[in-house]
Parts: sequence; C-alpha cells; structure tokens
Amino acid sequence: MKLSLRRVRSVAYKEYKHILRDPFTLIVALVLPLVFVGMFGFVIDLDYKHMRVFVRDNDQTSVSRRFLQEVASSGYFDLTPVHGQLQADKALGRNDSPALMIIRSGFGKNVRAGDPAKPGQIQLLADGTDNVQAGIMGTYMQGVLQKANAVFMRADPVLAGQSIAADSLIRSRFLFNPELNSRWFIVPALSTIIIGLLAIVLTALTVAKEWENGSMELLLSTPVRPAEIVLGKLIPYFLLTFFDILIVFALAIYVFHIPFLGSFLLYMLACGVYITGALALGLVISVVTRQQQAAIQFAFAVGLLPSFIFSGFMFPIENMPVFFQYFTALFPQRWFLLISRTVFLSDAAPVTLAAAFAGIGLFAAVMIVLAVKKFKTDVEP
Amino acid sequence: MAALSAEVKNVSKKMGRAQALDRVDVSFAAGEVHGIVGPNGAGKTTLIRLAAGLLHPDAGSVGYAEKGAEVPAEKAKHFTGYFPQEPSLYPDLTCEEHLEFFRDLYDLPQPEFTRRADELFNATGMAPFKDRPAGKLSGGMYKKLGLMCVLLNRPKLLLLDEPTVGVDPVSRQELWDLVYGFAGPEMTVILSTSYMDEAGRCARVHVLDEGRLLASGAPEELMRHFGVSDFADIFLKK
Amino acid sequence: MNEEKIVISVKDLVVAFGSFKAVDGVSFDVRRGEIFGFLGANGAGKTTTIRTICGILNPTSGTVKVNGQDVSSSTAVLKPHIGYMSQKFTLYPDLTVRENMNFAGSLYGMSPEAISRRARELTEFIGLPHDLPDPVSHLSGGVKQMAALASALLHEPDLIFLDEPTAGTSPATRVAFWDLIRRLARQGKTVFVTTHYMDEAEYCGRIALMERGKIVAMGTPQELKDQFFAVKPLELSFLKPVQAALRAALDKAGIASAVFGDKLRVRAHDRQAFNRAARPFEGAFEAREVPPALEDVFLEAVSGRKGV
Repeated sequence: MKLSLRRVRSVAYKEYKHILRDPFTLIVALVLPLVFVGMFGFVIDLDYKHMRVFVRDNDQTSVSRRFLQEVASSGYFDLTPVHGQLQADKALGRNDSPALMIIRSGFGKNVRAGDPAKPGQIQLLADGTDNVQAGIMGTYMQGVLQKANAVFMRADPVLAGQSIAADSLIRSRFLFNPELNSRWFIVPALSTIIIGLLAIVLTALTVAKEWENGSMELLLSTPVRPAEIVLGKLIPYFLLTFFDILIVFALAIYVFHIPFLGSFLLYMLACGVYITGALALGLVISVVTRQQQAAIQFAFAVGLLPSFIFSGFMFPIENMPVFFQYFTALFPQRWFLLISRTVFLSDAAPVTLAAAFAGIGLFAAVMIVLAVKKFKTDVEP
Repeated sequence: MAALSAEVKNVSKKMGRAQALDRVDVSFAAGEVHGIVGPNGAGKTTLIRLAAGLLHPDAGSVGYAEKGAEVPAEKAKHFTGYFPQEPSLYPDLTCEEHLEFFRDLYDLPQPEFTRRADELFNATGMAPFKDRPAGKLSGGMYKKLGLMCVLLNRPKLLLLDEPTVGVDPVSRQELWDLVYGFAGPEMTVILSTSYMDEAGRCARVHVLDEGRLLASGAPEELMRHFGVSDFADIFLKK
Repeated sequence: MNEEKIVISVKDLVVAFGSFKAVDGVSFDVRRGEIFGFLGANGAGKTTTIRTICGILNPTSGTVKVNGQDVSSSTAVLKPHIGYMSQKFTLYPDLTVRENMNFAGSLYGMSPEAISRRARELTEFIGLPHDLPDPVSHLSGGVKQMAALASALLHEPDLIFLDEPTAGTSPATRVAFWDLIRRLARQGKTVFVTTHYMDEAEYCGRIALMERGKIVAMGTPQELKDQFFAVKPLELSFLKPVQAALRAALDKAGIASAVFGDKLRVRAHDRQAFNRAARPFEGAFEAREVPPALEDVFLEAVSGRKGV
C-alpha cells in the first residue's frame, strides 16, 4: 500500500485548523521569536556605547596619542590610562573593566615605516565573561582601526602614494576566542536556534495531545498510516516556523542592519533543513512519550542543552576535548551555526559547507524515519 | 459486501498487572447486534480493542471471516469501524469538519461522501449542528457524531465501546435506533455496555466478568440459564 | 406539607446566562429525610439547579431557600450543612483515603481529633477497611466511590448532593451504595441525587425530571408510571421476520417503539391506532403487556424532542 497524499493533506489541514483555533500556540509561535530577536537586537544596539577600556600606552609617541584620540572620538569607548604593569594587572582584575588595551612600544615607528610585514601593534585584552560585549568590542575596535588607518594614510603623503592594504598599518590581536568577532552576526542564527527549540516543543505536543485526548485511538482504527500522520503534522508547523524565520531575518537585516554577505537562498535552505530536523525530533519525542507533560520536559532537555553547549555558541568547539569535538557533530545546532556564520560573513562557495549541510540533512532524515518507525499502530501500553 | 464475523479463540491478555482477559472464547456471528455485558473492569474494553486490532492477544487468536471465507486481520482492519469509550473527537473541529477529515482518511470519493453524509445527518438529526465544534456538543450528540464518523466508511464490522455511557435515555434510544438502522446483512455490530438493562436490546449477549466469559446467548436464554429476571442479578448472585 | 420539615424550597427559579435560560421557572420542595432523584439529559439544567442551591450561582429571579434561609444571602451559614460529591472530582488520586479526609476536614475547620473520630465512625458506617495505606489511585472503583462519600460526609452535613455517584461502577457497588443512601435518609439526612441509570431512579422517594430548564414530571416512581402509562407498553415477539417493516409502519402512525434484540417494545397508548397500524402483520407477531419502566416514563415525558 502506498503513501496516500490525500491523507497527508487532510492530516495537515486538520493540524492547520488546530493551530488557527488555538490562540495561545499561535501567539507563542509568532510573537516569541520576535521578542527574542528584538531583545538581542536592542540590547546590542543600545547598551554597548561608552564601554570602559583601560589603556596602557607603552609607545608614548605622537602617533599613539593620535590613535587614542581616534579611539576615544568614536564614542564607543571611554578610555582610562593606567601606568605600569601593576596598575594594568589591577585594572584587569576589576569587575567593571571590560577590557585593557595595550599599545606596544614601537607602534609609532612601525606605523610611520609603513611596512605591511611589520605593522604597528595594539593588543586588546577583553573580559570574556561577557562574551557578547567582548565580541562587540572586537567588532567596533576593527572599525576604529580601519578608520585610524585611513586617517594615518591621509596624514602621511608618502604612505598615501603607496598601494598597501589599508589595514596593514595597525593590526590587532585578540587573546581571546578568535570567533568572538562573529557574535554579532549570530543574532539571526541564534534566533533560528530558538525557533528550532520552539519547533521541537510545538511538535512534541501534537502527537502526545492526540494520545491524551483519545483521538489517537480513533485515528489508529482508520486506514491512516504513521508516515502520513508524521508528514501531515510536519507540514503546517514547518510553514509556521519558517514564516518566523523569514520575519526574524528581515528584522535582523532591515531593522538592526546586521550585515549579510552570503547567499540568501543557501541560508534559507539551511534554515529549512534545520527546522525540519527540529520538528521531526519533536515528533519523535511526542511519539515515544505519548504524554504532553513528559514531552515538553523532554523537548526542553533535548533542545536547550545542545543549542547552547554543544553548538559552539557558548564554548568554542576547538577548545573542547577531542571526544566532545566529535560528540558535537551529532547535534545539528553545531552545523547550523557553522553555516550561518559562514553565510553571514562571507560569500563562500556552497561546496565548503557540504559537510555541514550533510550534518543537518542527515539529522532531519534520521528523525523523520525514527518518528515513523517509533509510531505505534496499536494501543498496547 | 457482506458483514464480517469475528472469532475470538482462547484469548488471554494482561493489561499491566491485571489479567484483563482469561482464556476467552467468543464467536460473533455476522449481521447481528452483539452486546458485551459486564461490570467495570470485566475486560469489555480489552476485548473490543482486540477485535479492533488495536491490541494483540498474549495467547489465542482473533480471526475474521466474510461469508465463511477467512479474511486476514490486516485486511479486516480496513472494513472495521471502531468508536472508543473515551472522548476521541477533536473539540475544536466542527461536525462537518470531522466528517471531511474522515472522508479523506477513508479515501471516499466526493459524490459518495455527500450521499452518505447527508444520509447520516438526516438519520441522526444532527444537520442543524453541522457547524458546532465537537467540544460544545452534549454527551448524546458527541456519541452520535463519533458514530457518524465511523459509519462514513460503511464498515462490515462496527465496534462500539460503551456508546451509551453517560447519555440520557432519549439520546440512548436514538443511538440504538441508529445502530439497528445499519446492522444487518452488511454490518455486524459489537458493542459493550455496563447498563445491565440494555442487555435486553441486543440480539446476542456475551456476559463478561473479571476477564472470563460467563455465557453467550440470546438475552432471554441467558436469564433462564442464570435463573434471574434482571441482568444485574447475574453479577450480584456470585 | 409540614413547613418544619422542608429542607430545600425552590420557587420560580430562573437562572439565565445571557439570553440562554439554563433554568426556566422551576419550583419544588424537598423534605427532610427524603431521597430526591433529579433526572434529565446532559444540559437539561440539573447541574445549574444544584449549583444554585449550593449557593455557587446566583438566581436570576425566584427564590431558593435551604433550612428556611435564603441561599444567596446566607451562603456562608449554609455551607457547613451541605455535603457535595461531584462526579468529576472526588479525591486526590496521589493521597491515601485518610490524607484526603484530613484535608477535606481541615477545609471545614475541623480539629485533627474530630476528623479522626468522624473518620472512624464513617469507615464503620460505610464498611470500609480502617486502614487503607494505598493512594486512592490504587483503589478499585467501588472503594473509591465509598471513600469519596465518606469524605463528603465528614463534616456531618444534613443535606447531601450526589452528582452521578455510581457512574461506571459495578452492579454490586451500586447496590451497596444505594443501601448506604437509604441508611443516610433514615438517619434524617436529605439526599439529592442525579443519575443516568433509570433502574436506580426507582430507589428514589421522589423524582423530578428536567428538560430544557423546566421540570416536566415530578412524583414518586409509581405515580409517574401511573401518570404516563394508563395504558401499559407492549412487547412484541416475532414469529416471522417482519420486525423492521412493522416498526416502519408504527413510525408512520406516530407510535414510538424501540428494538430490543429480536423484540420490539411499543409505547402504544392508543391501542386502536396500534391495531390499525399492525393489522397487515397480524399473525406474524405476538404482543403482551409489560409493566412500564422509568426509562419508558423518561422517553414519554421528553418525547417530541429531536436531535439532542
């Protein structure tokens, strides 16, 4: 017997009506992601100005002073000079200092020399406990450096005549997680992961609900097959959550002006596959637990932890023990974050993301198959 | 199209720790209205679910036949309609939406559906409530809607678990009329009831108590057999 | 009727929700020590009436008096006199019977000693084992119902409402339960009970039958049977397979009938009309008069109602 598209459609249509008639689900599904992205967007947009930075100028030249003026005039940083190593250490130990900037000695000389191989160097030591702020600080500092480079080139006619890359005069170094500077671009990706979590919860409730209100018993006595129920339930929730993703993306780009360099279609493809996997995982949970309360607890446990711990969001994957590095490969969140980061930051060829796409695709496929296979066709306990 | 008969042979079934059915033999002849009668916990629901193919016996077997020719269980399931005792409709979907949903599940062509749905709406007097959500129906109407959904497929074997529980006498009478309206050469009906006074309404009664079949037969035959004037007394005499 | 003995007095009660009248002009009295059966379809207005008597709902118009006091103005005074056993919620399934009683008693402000004493008395009266260590969810349906009743009686109410107390219990439990109800009534308690089981309704002293917010029949079971069945119902058994055809003919003549397996039960008040309709089938069936049951009364009293 074949899969009946008519039955899939009718299950999907029924589910669509349930969604439409349950204002609570609808509000949670549509408003929650917006609240999240809005929260991230505004927190990042508004709060991070006048960040306190301690400065230790080991160069003490007119160039370094000029550079510090540039930094201060950006408005993002409030600079407080410190003198000597002792004071610098103390500054780092303080709770209210997000960062210490060190201008290496020879900074002025190197900038004036204009040798791309030997640029003037500053070092930014950021407090990683607030990693969002640290990341933003890094991003802003890059911007300030670019501006300073341009200023120095204009001021020095000799340099201006040479065709050297603009950022080669001053180069910064982070002593912290090198991925930090991509945090900014993670906002939409993170929102998608939250939508993914929502997706798990939404579908985790559906099958369990049918068991609890008794309709499953009636459903199972009809010719409908597990695959038809699973697909029928996936479709409306896919549309709902994908709509969320589009809104979040539009907000991120047009309201919060988060740069997007890669391919829109590629990103949407990744979102679609990722969400499908999350929805199918929710169905697996629902099919196995058959109780709404257990399903929702399961959904949070299975959804929340990997989203933040094993995705590379909280802890960089390359810093994990080797076993855990491989372990994270099991979680689609990791692959999805990698894809988002790459697509947001660069116009990379899709080939470079083949492994990541295989990761989320395989997960989705396995989950769908598992949901169908685990689906009980009788009422045995 | 002929009604299915069902043969339960020496079936035992444990539900949790309890022995829900203990070596039960019942034969449900085609085309009749069978009543499974017994107090709560007698094993009625388990027996009906076994017949619906929703449970599998620990020992023994359940077989189906059409005009004496055996029908495999997998195939019989497609000719079987089952309405459970517990509420099992979608409270937010209307009567009409329920029928449309089941139309698709049963893969009914539209003209056939329209014909049958109209017939069912007329027979049940539910036509004025087409647009009412199932959650807002009274007990009697709810059961009728469930019966309509299942009857849409014109099953050859209709299984109803306590269709009249919690339903007032008038709606109960209407449900019985509906059952007798469809039972016949094309449809066997097996239903369970814990209302002892309803046993008399069935053509054949199967008395179940504590997982064992006490007796099968026509209602009067059974009352003679047990020497009682009321079915409830069968369970009180022990 | 002795005024002293009237426990519940309902006069011209109307309870409306918006434009919908759930209870539409209901009047009745219930005397001390009476078992008063309240019958009717779901949605007929039974629960609304009970809630109004308990003081949970306010009447739109009309008066409800319990022990001579107006319910809406003296709810707090009356509550300790009322015991209520609901159909849906009876006991917490994860607590033992005793723990449930302790909780129920504390809601009425009873002291732990008083609860202990009453619990002992009641388990004796009801015939429950003294010590039930298991949580309620492990108990059988019968024991559970008995324990729920004990819990409702804990604070010694003299007016007891039982909402379908025997729904889904075994015949043995029902017999035992009704035995208890009768003993309570003999002690002078007033019992107000709703049920769907018509054979149970026979045990009630008086019955009120509700339909669409109105009481359509009231009296003792025998009075009701006499009132509605001056002419007894007929039971037809068939010698030839004409059951369906005869039934159709009766339907056409407007004579109500019900299939009972291979028999037909006919509420043939107008014997002449019946004979006319059944004449073509003469010789194919045998008819005998049977005593009416309350079920017949119910069907008769609310007939003409369709599609509910």
